[in-house]
Amino acid sequence: MIEIKLVVNDKPYTLEVEPSERLIDALRNRLGLLGTKEGCGEGECGACTVIMDGKTVNSCLVLAAQANGSVITSIEGVGNRRSPHPVQKAFVEVGAVQCGFCTPGMVLSAKNLLDKNSKPSNEEIGIAMSGNLCRCTGYDKILRAVKIAAEEGKE
Amino acid sequence: MKYFQPYSVEEAIEIAHASESTFLAGGTDLVLHMRTGKAQPSGLIDLGKIPVLREIKEVDGFIEIGSMATFAELGNSELVAQNAYALWQACQSMGSPQIRNQATLGGNLGNCSPAADGLPPLLALGAEVHLISQEGEEFVPLSTLLSRTPLFGQDTLIRGFRIPINSWQSGFAKLGKRRALAIARLSVAVAVEINGTRVENVRVALGAVGRRAFLSESLGRELSGLDLNGAWLEKGILEVQQIVREALGARASAPYKRVAVSGVFREALASIITEGGTQA
Ligand SMILES: Cc1cc2nc3c(=O)[nH]c(=O)nc-3n(C[C@H](O)[C@H](O)[C@H](O)COP(=O)(O)OP(=O)(O)OC[C@H]3O[C@@H](n4cnc5c(N)ncnc54)[C@H](O)[C@@H]3O)c2cc1C
Ligand code: FES
Ligand code: FES
Repeated sequence: MIEIKLVVNDKPYTLEVEPSERLIDALRNRLGLLGTKEGCGEGECGACTVIMDGKTVNSCLVLAAQANGSVITSIEGVGNRRSPHPVQKAFVEVGAVQCGFCTPGMVLSAKNLLDKNSKPSNEEIGIAMSGNLCRCTGYDKILRAVKIAAEEGKE
Repeated sequence: MKYFQPYSVEEAIEIAHASESTFLAGGTDLVLHMRTGKAQPSGLIDLGKIPVLREIKEVDGFIEIGSMATFAELGNSELVAQNAYALWQACQSMGSPQIRNQATLGGNLGNCSPAADGLPPLLALGAEVHLISQEGEEFVPLSTLLSRTPLFGQDTLIRGFRIPINSWQSGFAKLGKRRALAIARLSVAVAVEINGTRVENVRVALGAVGRRAFLSESLGRELSGLDLNGAWLEKGILEVQQIVREALGARASAPYKRVAVSGVFREALASIITEGGTQA
């Protein structure tokens, strides 16, 4: 076991992890943050997306030990029922959530885009969301929700 | 399994020398290979805490790229866009945003898949690889390194790459995603030195045609020293098809790739010459 220190959703943690343990396992099993979903487990679907040091990564491909010293935002750190993030609000309004499995990853990719670029073009939104797959919605509503969230942020 | 997180290059190669451990860069290949059992390292040397390995900078007429520079960092680099356009283009289309944020150029060479997107551009751009181990360090042309098997010993670290800054222009294009069938993947990188209306020198590299990316010396020779026009482009297409034919022989993918390569070659040149064969 090795000791790592990291900050998750603004809280500092010191954890003992296995060298081969993935970040998604540490978040779900050690910290009980079950909002991060495992879809493919191979870097293809983006369901496990978290923001690590200001960048989106697939937590199924990052070892927990690699996150030593990092600042992580998972979906639990983005908003909640009472005060949803503008992206979350827009997802609900537009109906961009069906089964919801892809939603945490989608929201994190969208949030990270808007944190960096408050006025993204449609093309920039398309690129930012291209690493997140959805089996249910056909993407139109998701892209529209991100656009709406961006426009609200501008006001 | 042991896990090391060194803070310097010296420390990293010392551990590699003493321990039989494997270097870990972004992990987008290695973490998967560990899960499938394809890789069973006795220890990992995580290179993520060595800041010098991330640098992208101009030094004495070269762009120096640390092995831990990610595809996202390279794709956002003005220095790379200005002087190594083919590499910059490859960085835009590689993987997904999440993969580009994590995957490194050093890992792309370390894994050395036939379809590694970083390698054809580096070959066309005349890149050298900076290797370092306890025995010493060397700069090896990537084209030379790719003819070695294995590429290098377990205790050798890819320190980085260097690309000469010159007036050459370059471009890259590819067909097919990583998960597409091998038969549907293909990539081409081209670099040309143009003087007035003449193409003085050419380097063409192909990916996903055979076991590893390679530079075609005959293609470079055939296309150098000619006027840049429609006829040059047509000649290039015939030659590149011939190279694919030779490289793939009787493989099932050969007929398809022989046809497909003409479009990919044309697209790789799109930023350099127009459809009609004039300079873009
Ligand atoms: C969903 C998905 C999509 C992908 N799409 C593409 C794509 O479009 N194009 C493409 O080219 N690749 C793609 N890949 C493959 C992969 O992302 C790349 O090969 C990447 O560049 C690997 O870099 P890494 O930093 O993650 O390497 P790692 O996985 O950390 O390492 C890969 C290998 O290189 C060795 N290594 C790493 N760094 C060094 C070093 N400095 N010195 C010596 N050895 C070293 C490691 O020991 C290991 O054997 C994809 C992967 C996934 C999961
Ligand atoms: S579960 Fe990580 S990308 Fe699919
Ligand atoms: S809502 Fe079901 S996968 Fe996207």
